[in-house]
Amino acid sequence: MAELLMTIVGGIKIGAIYALAAIGLVVIHKATKTVNFAHGGLVMLGAFATYEMVVVFEWPYWMAYIAVPVLIGALGALLEFVVLKPLRRADLFTVIIGTIFLGTALSEAYRLAENSELLAVPALFTGPPLLIDVGSDVVIFTREQIWVTLGALAVGTAGVAIFRYSSLGRSMRAMASNSRGAQLCGYSVEGVYGIAWFLGSALAGLAGVFAAPSKGVSPDLAVSIVASAFVAAVIGGFDSLGGAIVGGLLLGCVETLSAAYVSSSLSMAISYFLLFCVLLVRPEGLFPEAKRRHV
Amino acid sequence: MSGTRVFGLLALPIGLPALFILAGCLADDYWRYVLCLTVSAVVVGAGLTMLVSFARCITLATGAFQALGAYGAVLLMINLSLPFPLAVVAGGCAGALGGLFLAVPAVRFRSHNLAMVTLVFQSIVIIALRELKGLTGGAEGLSVPAATILGVAIRSDLANLVMACVFSALILIPLMILLQGPFGRNLRALAVNEVGARAFGIRIEHYLIAAFVISSAAIAMAAAIVAPRLRIIDPDSFGLYSSILTLAYPIVGGLGSVWGGAVGGAVLRILPEVLRPIAGYIELILSTVVLLTMLCFRGGLSEMVSRLWPARSEPARSSRGSDAVVVSALPHLVQPHDHSAVEALVTDKLVKRYDALTAVDGVNLKVRAGALHGIMGPNGAGKTTLFNTVSGFIRPDAGQIRLFGTDVTSDRIEQRIGLGVTRTFQNLAIFPSLSCRQNVIIGFGRNSIGAALGRSAGWALNTKTSREEAERADWALDAVGLAHVMDLPAGKLSLGDQRRLEIARAVVSQPRLILLDEPVSGVSQQEVEQLLVLLKAINRDLGATMLVVEHNIGFLVSLCDTLSVMASGRIIAEGVPAEVVARRDVLRTYFGETDEAA
Repeated sequence: MAELLMTIVGGIKIGAIYALAAIGLVVIHKATKTVNFAHGGLVMLGAFATYEMVVVFEWPYWMAYIAVPVLIGALGALLEFVVLKPLRRADLFTVIIGTIFLGTALSEAYRLAENSELLAVPALFTGPPLLIDVGSDVVIFTREQIWVTLGALAVGTAGVAIFRYSSLGRSMRAMASNSRGAQLCGYSVEGVYGIAWFLGSALAGLAGVFAAPSKGVSPDLAVSIVASAFVAAVIGGFDSLGGAIVGGLLLGCVETLSAAYVSSSLSMAISYFLLFCVLLVRPEGLFPEAKRRHV
Repeated sequence: MSGTRVFGLLALPIGLPALFILAGCLADDYWRYVLCLTVSAVVVGAGLTMLVSFARCITLATGAFQALGAYGAVLLMINLSLPFPLAVVAGGCAGALGGLFLAVPAVRFRSHNLAMVTLVFQSIVIIALRELKGLTGGAEGLSVPAATILGVAIRSDLANLVMACVFSALILIPLMILLQGPFGRNLRALAVNEVGARAFGIRIEHYLIAAFVISSAAIAMAAAIVAPRLRIIDPDSFGLYSSILTLAYPIVGGLGSVWGGAVGGAVLRILPEVLRPIAGYIELILSTVVLLTMLCFRGGLSEMVSRLWPARSEPARSSRGSDAVVVSALPHLVQPHDHSAVEALVTDKLVKRYDALTAVDGVNLKVRAGALHGIMGPNGAGKTTLFNTVSGFIRPDAGQIRLFGTDVTSDRIEQRIGLGVTRTFQNLAIFPSLSCRQNVIIGFGRNSIGAALGRSAGWALNTKTSREEAERADWALDAVGLAHVMDLPAGKLSLGDQRRLEIARAVVSQPRLILLDEPVSGVSQQEVEQLLVLLKAINRDLGATMLVVEHNIGFLVSLCDTLSVMASGRIIAEGVPAEVVARRDVLRTYFGETDEAA
């Protein structure tokens, strides 16, 4: 019982990181209709920047939480401007291939720079774990787990709130639903796309900061995160920010539970199976954003 | 024509492997090994041309199919001591089965979801290879025995190269026939315009599944033929990274070209060997090359090469109508349909609802065989919905549709084609990347997957049927006045000429009923008059019945024998055009109450 609870808590922690990455993916997709397969690369770079700041330069940890999102956000906006802006008139097929190879370029550049070693990043909180009695058993939470879960979910919720309630969010939603109309109303494509990529990439960078202590930094992080974030987003309905949070938490729990009770090598296969089932049975996701319109 | 076709078919499958063997004879063992892997990459690239360039499906499962082919062949060689050629074929079957298994659920998705499903398949295959240690040797892999053909073991690098080249040629020939023939043409057509493709009997899902199966079989066999030379196969060499790398083949080679994937495969497989001093950077260089190709040379290597060729004299571009021939009578290649007393089209209390809106509300329409029948009505009157139910794109909620006496209410588009019904589109549904002649040939409607595969073989052998189809297409283009642009891509024509092209595509199969959806919207007055003459000539000389939906009242009145007026989903007036448009209730529908006030 206690073991199950601890597994689920661990799953929720990983899930919160997935959720954060997935929200970034969904924000970019909602505003620009681009599915960013390079998202995992941005998360990886976020984790790497954390390593550089905390371990190499020995800056205080809180600075990483502030500087990394800004840095990765700016990088995302820059990549949008350099690589994706020229593809804006191209079809979805071209853009997706573009982001796939952009992601490959990011992780390969990193692999060259760091020789694909696994870099370890210390946890923010290293104090003794909290013990809670559950009947006869004792459940152990680490402070790190609580911080990552609450922190990531708080940031994710803030991101959702920005998108849903601020005028910035309105401009992105307007651009997504009708870019011509939004331009006529005075929104600039450049501005809105830049902001969406900044916001989405900043969330990816933050996901990297949260993920760095538990997952370490390696080029493989890029693929594993982009796959998980995508699964989380699809489960949620791809255009639903709230759905992305639920999808991330669900995926984290399924992965951790199957690793604990079935086999760690099969946990990936099981989460993919989950994705497959959702796509087959409910392609619009568990939380569809809008009813499909007639063409 | 025939000579260039044979050259186009055989240049790559015979020429390239022959060149590789020649180069292999002159080179050392290391380069023989590299060429052996390169010829396999050429086959993989050609397979991806079908799936990525033509069907425009993004696949991240290439590595998985290579693994299925290599492991399938090697396991059969080890466990059943199957001779190598049979093992290669079996590996291809394993790939094809994998492709079928992936494609049947996957083809309902497009773009990112499809890419993701293929990524899932890729990961699951690799996980399975790692976990089934008893069969596959797990992460350590399998050591591959030397290939034996007719009892002779193939051991030297040169022998392996020759063997790989011969097998590649045997795989590439049918692949090129499928790519360049009717099958590949239909695949390209559906990728650029699904609606237009459906209208002529191209079933999207069937084609995409076939593309997955064929390309996976080719990719699997490509991996199987080099497995003996690799000596050891392990899951890592077929991982996601290899899938992404192979996805670069058709892009760098050129998405618009039949040879793109093969050229890309050859170049990208040899490039790392040339750049060995900076081998560490090769992955970064490759992804940068792909991004640069997409940003700067969208046509890829094959377009760059074809630019170096001396420009062929392009046929004169069509100018807006001035040199277009006005057709007053069609050349008599065909016998006009004779009409018994049967009605061409009868709809009985036809109803189609969208949520609260009843778009078509109990329409009873009768069109006499041989007639030119027009339907007019204000925007939102339900004309297009009626039209789509008749042509089979939308199934009505209630009522009945009979075409030439046959009840087709619940039939598919293909059955309507079989009855001799074709259509054109309000927002043109031509295939811009295909030539005008190819556009028209699709209009024959013999586009079920089996027919397309059969026709591809017929096209390669240049059979009489295949030649007749080309002649008939030329006749149809000539009849609409587009003979001078037959080989131009349809996307380069003016709007008016594209409308003519749609008409040529609709009449090439000698249909009994043509459904024309706003045939003159957006074309100039001069072209409207030319189209009027053309449509009358088609009706008279081919005996084709026509149902025309149009906003241009003057055009309808001069064209049609009978006219129906629709408003709010119902037919409110019907009869002789000049009388119908003078009726007070019709005027009120169009112009409001102003005439009564005056």
